[in-house]
Amino acid sequence: MPRFAWFIVLILLLSGCGNPAPETEQFQVAEALGGASDAGFARATNPREFLFPQDHGPHPEFRNEWWYLTGNLHAEDGRDFAYQATLFRIALQPEPIDSPSAWRSNQIWMGHAALSDLQAGKHTAFERFARQGAGLAGAESLPLRVWLEDWQLQQAGGTGVWKLQIPTEEFDLRLELKPASPIILQGDNGLSQKSRTPGNASYYYSIPRLTANGALSYRGETLRVNGQSWLDREWSTSALGPDQQGWDWFSLQLNDGRNLMFYQLRRKDGSVDPLSAGSLSDERGLRQHLRPEMIRLTPLKYWVSGNRRYPIEWRLELEGEPHPWRVSTRLADQEMRLSVTYWEGAVEVRQESSGDLLGKGYLEMTGYD
Amino acid sequence: MSRLLLISALRHLHRHPWQSWLSILGIALGVAVIVGVDLANQSARQAFLLSAESLTGKATHQIIGGPAGIPEDLYRELRIEQGLRQAAPIVEGLVKLGAENLQLIGVDPLAEENFRHLSGELAADAARRLFLEPASVLLSSITASRLGVAADDNLTVTIAGREVTLQVVDLLEGDNPAVLEGLLLADISTAQELLDSPGRLDRIDLILQPGQAERLADTLPPGLHLEVPASRTRVMMEMIDAFQINLAAMSLLAMLVGAFLIYNTMTFSVLRRRQLLATLRLLGVTRQALFRLLLLEAALMGLVGAGAGLVLGIFTAQYLVELVTRTINDLYFVLTVKQLIIQPVVLLKGFLVGVGVTLLAALAPAIEAAGTVPVSALRRSQLEQRVHRGLPWVGLLGIAALLLGWLLIAVSGNSLLAGFSGLFLIISGYSLLVPPGVALLSRLSNRTGKRRGLLVRFALRGIGANLSRTGLSIASLSVAVAATLGVSIMISSFRATVADWLAYTLRSDIYVSAVSSRASSSDATLLPETRQRIQALPEVAETSTGRRVTIQSRHGPVDLLVLDFASNTHEGFKFLEPPLADLWAGYQRGELLLTSEPYAYRHGLRTGDPIILDTLEGPLSLTIGGVFYDYGSDQGLIGLPASAYTRYWGDAAFATVGVILQPGVEPAAATSAIRQALEGFDQDLRIRSNREIRDYSIGIFDRTFAITQVLRLLAVGVAFIGVLSALMALQLERTREQAVLRATGFTPGQLSRLTLLQTSLMGLYAGLFSLPLGWLMSEVLIEVINRRAFGWSITTQLPVNAVFEALLLAVVAALLAGLYPAWRMSRVSPALALREE
Repeated sequence: MPRFAWFIVLILLLSGCGNPAPETEQFQVAEALGGASDAGFARATNPREFLFPQDHGPHPEFRNEWWYLTGNLHAEDGRDFAYQATLFRIALQPEPIDSPSAWRSNQIWMGHAALSDLQAGKHTAFERFARQGAGLAGAESLPLRVWLEDWQLQQAGGTGVWKLQIPTEEFDLRLELKPASPIILQGDNGLSQKSRTPGNASYYYSIPRLTANGALSYRGETLRVNGQSWLDREWSTSALGPDQQGWDWFSLQLNDGRNLMFYQLRRKDGSVDPLSAGSLSDERGLRQHLRPEMIRLTPLKYWVSGNRRYPIEWRLELEGEPHPWRVSTRLADQEMRLSVTYWEGAVEVRQESSGDLLGKGYLEMTGYD
Repeated sequence: MSRLLLISALRHLHRHPWQSWLSILGIALGVAVIVGVDLANQSARQAFLLSAESLTGKATHQIIGGPAGIPEDLYRELRIEQGLRQAAPIVEGLVKLGAENLQLIGVDPLAEENFRHLSGELAADAARRLFLEPASVLLSSITASRLGVAADDNLTVTIAGREVTLQVVDLLEGDNPAVLEGLLLADISTAQELLDSPGRLDRIDLILQPGQAERLADTLPPGLHLEVPASRTRVMMEMIDAFQINLAAMSLLAMLVGAFLIYNTMTFSVLRRRQLLATLRLLGVTRQALFRLLLLEAALMGLVGAGAGLVLGIFTAQYLVELVTRTINDLYFVLTVKQLIIQPVVLLKGFLVGVGVTLLAALAPAIEAAGTVPVSALRRSQLEQRVHRGLPWVGLLGIAALLLGWLLIAVSGNSLLAGFSGLFLIISGYSLLVPPGVALLSRLSNRTGKRRGLLVRFALRGIGANLSRTGLSIASLSVAVAATLGVSIMISSFRATVADWLAYTLRSDIYVSAVSSRASSSDATLLPETRQRIQALPEVAETSTGRRVTIQSRHGPVDLLVLDFASNTHEGFKFLEPPLADLWAGYQRGELLLTSEPYAYRHGLRTGDPIILDTLEGPLSLTIGGVFYDYGSDQGLIGLPASAYTRYWGDAAFATVGVILQPGVEPAAATSAIRQALEGFDQDLRIRSNREIRDYSIGIFDRTFAITQVLRLLAVGVAFIGVLSALMALQLERTREQAVLRATGFTPGQLSRLTLLQTSLMGLYAGLFSLPLGWLMSEVLIEVINRRAFGWSITTQLPVNAVFEALLLAVVAALLAGLYPAWRMSRVSPALALREE
C-alpha cells in the first residue's frame, strides 16, 4: 500500500508552520525534496526475516513508517460506523541527535483519524502532529506502544490483543482488537516493490482481520461497538516513481472469510502500473498473490469535490471468480481534507448481478487532483 | 474683514520679519518637541503592543512560571493527560549582538498552528534545518536587513556571556515584519540548548474554553500561574506609563515656554502698532474687526509654525525614539523599536495644540487691541500708567494660581496628572508675579541707582518705565530659565541620591555574579560550591549571597530580593520610618520581610502591614518589618533572607556572591585569585568590584536621563528664542525713543551700550526671578511628580553650578538679544528714526 509518499508532503507542511500553501505547490516542492533526503537511511532492497512481536515496533533506520487501522463497526443501537486511525513516523534524517533538550529529535509523527457515521451520512477527520521526544509521541516495542499525544496503539503484553484509543474533539474511540487471521507478508515475503528503482520498495505486512470490540463516545452518547478491523504495517525509504500519479487501494473483508488487498498504481498517462499488486488471504493465511492482470477495476460512479473527481463505485472482476463484484459506499463524502487531501472510506462489496452483500471493507484513493 | 486691513496686517508682519520668524520658529520648536515626544512614545507603545500581540497570538491564557520556569513535563501532562490540546510551549531568552539585545523565542512549530503565524513562507528545507541543526534560527527580515544579514549567514552573538555562532536558516517575514523587529525564532530544542535550560519552559500558551480556565488554575502546581495575556501586557504597559507621562509632561513644559513666547510676540506686535491701530479706529474700523484681524494674524503664524513644527517633530522623534527605547530596555523590558510609527492623530494633536496655544496667547493682546481708544492709544504713558495700576491685581491673580496649584497637589493623592496640572498652575501663577516683582525691583534699584552714572540710571529706569513690555519679557525668560533649572536640580538631586544609595547599599568589595540570558533576569545562578571556594581564599574575610527572582503576590508579580547576609550587610539598608523593634531577628526567622519604598508606596503599605505571597506550599502571609530606600526598581522589591526563600520556594540557588576582603587586600589581586579559584567550573561569571558596579549603575542612570536632558535643552532653545524675540522687539520698538536720545546728544556708542546694559539687566532680573521658581519646580518634580510616578524619595540638593548656569543663561540670552538692536541703533540716523512710524 503506497501511502509512503505522504511523508514528503509532511515535511513541506512543517515549513509552512501551519500555514499550508496550496496543495499543488506542496507537491511540487515535495518532489524536489523527496529525492534529496534519503541518503543514509536503510532501504528495502531484499526480503527480510520478520520477527514478531518485535517487528510490530518501530524501525527508525527507515525514513517512514506507519501503523494503519481501518474498520467497519456496528453499534449496539443498530447504527453503522467506520473508522480510520493512522500513526505515521517520519524521520527527518537517519541519525538521532544527541542533545540535552528532550525536544531535539529527528523523528516527527503525524496522525490521521476519521469517523464515518454511515446512518447520518457524516464524516469527520482529525489530524495531529508532534515530534518524538518530550513524551509527546513515539514508539516502543516489547510491549508495543505507539502514540501521538493521547492517540495510542498498544499491544497488551503477550496476549496478541491490540488496544487502540483515539480521543478527538468530536468522538472518542476505544477498541480492543483481537487478530482473527494470521499476519500476511505482502509482496515478495514482505518486500513490496513500489517502482522500478531498486530500493524503492517497502516492508509491508498486514493483519487483514481483527475482531474489534469497544466503546465509541459520540455526540454525548457512549455506544458499545463491535466489528472488524484491518491493520497495515509498512516501513520504507521510498517515494513514488516520477511517472506515478496516485493509487486506489482496496481492503475488503468478505463474509466467506476471505480478505482481499489490492492497490492499483495509476500512472500519469492514465494507465495502470504493472507494479500494482495485492493478495488474497483467509483465516489460515495467504492464499494467492494478486498481479494486475488478475484484477480488472472499472470506475462506475464519481463524486466530485472541488477539482477532485473520485470514483466512488467500482466494478471489480477477480480472476477465478464467477461473478463481478460491485464495490460501493453508503457515504460519498469521506474525503480527508487535512494537510493532504485524499479519499478514505468505508465500502461494501456486493455481487453485481444479485446485489447480495458479500462483505465490507475500506477504499483509499489519492492523486485525483 | 476688509482686504485693506488684511494687507496692513501682512505688511506689518512683512516689515518685521525677525519677530515674525522668531515667533514662528518658537511655535515650531514647541510643537516639534510635543510631536517628537508623542511620536516616540506612541511608537514605543505601538511596537510593544504589536509585538506582544503577535507573540501572544491567539492565546487566551498563559501559564507563567516562577523563578525556575515551568517543568516541561507539565506541558506533556496538560496536552496528553488533561487533553488541553490548544497549548503551545515557549522558551524565551536574551541574546546580545554587540550592544543590541535580540529576543530569542523557542517554539514547537508543530504546536503553533493555532497560535501564531510568525514564519510565513519559508524556504523548503528551513523547517527541517530548524528541527535538526543546533543553533539554527530564523531572524526577522527587518532586523536582518538592518544588520546586513542574509539567509544562510552566520550570526555571532553572546548568550549569557558565551559566544555562540547562530545559523540564520531563513528570514521571518510575518504578516507585519516590523512587529518582528529584534526577534530570533528557533525550535524549542534549539532555544533550550542555547539558553542552557533543558527541561524548562518559560511559558505555556493556551486557548481555553470558558470554564476550563478556573479548573486549570485550581490544579496548577504551586508557583505557577494562569494569566490572561492582556493582563500581562497591561502590567508591562503600566510599567512604562509613568516614564512616558513624565516625558509627555516635559514636552508640555517646552510648549508652555513656547506659549509665553507667542504671547510675548503678539503683545509686542499690538504694542508696536498702537498708533496704527488707533489710526485705524479713527478711520472707522470697528473693535471687532481689529480683534479678528489680530487673531487672524496669530492664526496665520500658528499655522505656519505648527506646520513647520510637525516636520521638525518627525525628525526629532527619529532621534527620541531611540532614547525612549534605550531607557525602556535599561529599566523595564526588552523592546526593539527601530521604526517610527507616524500616527496622523499624533500629528493632528500637535498641530491643534500649536495653533490653539497661539490663538490663546494672542487672545489677550487682541482684546487689548480691540479695546484701543483712538486718542489715548496715541499716548504711550497712559498705557504704562494703566499697567502699573493693574499690577496689584496681576499679583493677586498670580498668588491665587499658586495657591490653587498647591491645593491641587495637596488634595490629589497619587494622581500624576493632577501633580502635573498643579505644577503648571504654580508656574503660571509665579509668572504672573514677575511683572509686579520687576516693578518692585526697579523701584528699589532706582533708589540705589541714583549714585550711579547716567547710563545705568537710564537703563534701570527704562525697565520700570516700560513695564508693559519688560515685565512680560522678564516673565517669559524667568519661566524658561526656571524650567531648565528645576529639571536640572531634580536630575542632579536624583543622581546624588542614587550615588549615595549605591555607596551604602553595596557593602561588599567584590561581586561575583552569574550571567543571565533571561529577559526576566532571575534564572542565571551560580553553582553552590562557588561560595565555599571563594570563602576558602585567604584574601576573603566574609561572603554573602544574593538573588533577584520574580514571584507572584496578591498584588501581582513582585521581585524578591533574596539575601544571605554577611555580618555587616544590615548596614546596607536605610529605612524610611523606624522599622519594627525585633526586625532582624524576625527577618532571619522568616517571619518578617522588607519592602522597598516604591513597593510600599505603590501598594499603600506601611511597616507592620501583612503581605501575602504565593509559595510552593500555598499563600503565605508575612509582616513588613521595615520599608527601605531603594532605587534599583521602580516596581519595588520585597526582601527575604535566603533561608526563608529556600524554605518556601524550594530553591537554594543564588546568583551573586558578595565578597568582603581582608583588610589591605587589593580588589584587583582578589579578583584574579577568585577567578583562579573558580576555574574549571562550567559557569559564566562576571566579577566586578564595588566601584565598577557603582560606575555601571550611574552609567545607566545617566543614560536614562539622557532624554530628559535633551528635552531640557529643547526647552532652553525655545526659551532662548523667546527671549531673543521679546527683547529684540522691545528694543526695536524703542527706536523712536532712542532717536530722541540721539538727537539730544547721545553718541551711537552710548546708545549701544545703553541697549546692551538694559537687556543684560533684564536678563539678570529674569535670572534672579527664575531661581525661586526653579527651586519650586524642582521641589514639585521631586516630591510630587517623581514620587507619584516611581514611588521613591529623593533628597534635594541645590547644585551651585546649576544656579550659576541659570543666571548665565538668562544674561547671555538677554545680551545676545540686545546685540542686533544695539548695532542697529548705532547706525540709524536720528532724523530717519524719528520719522519712523
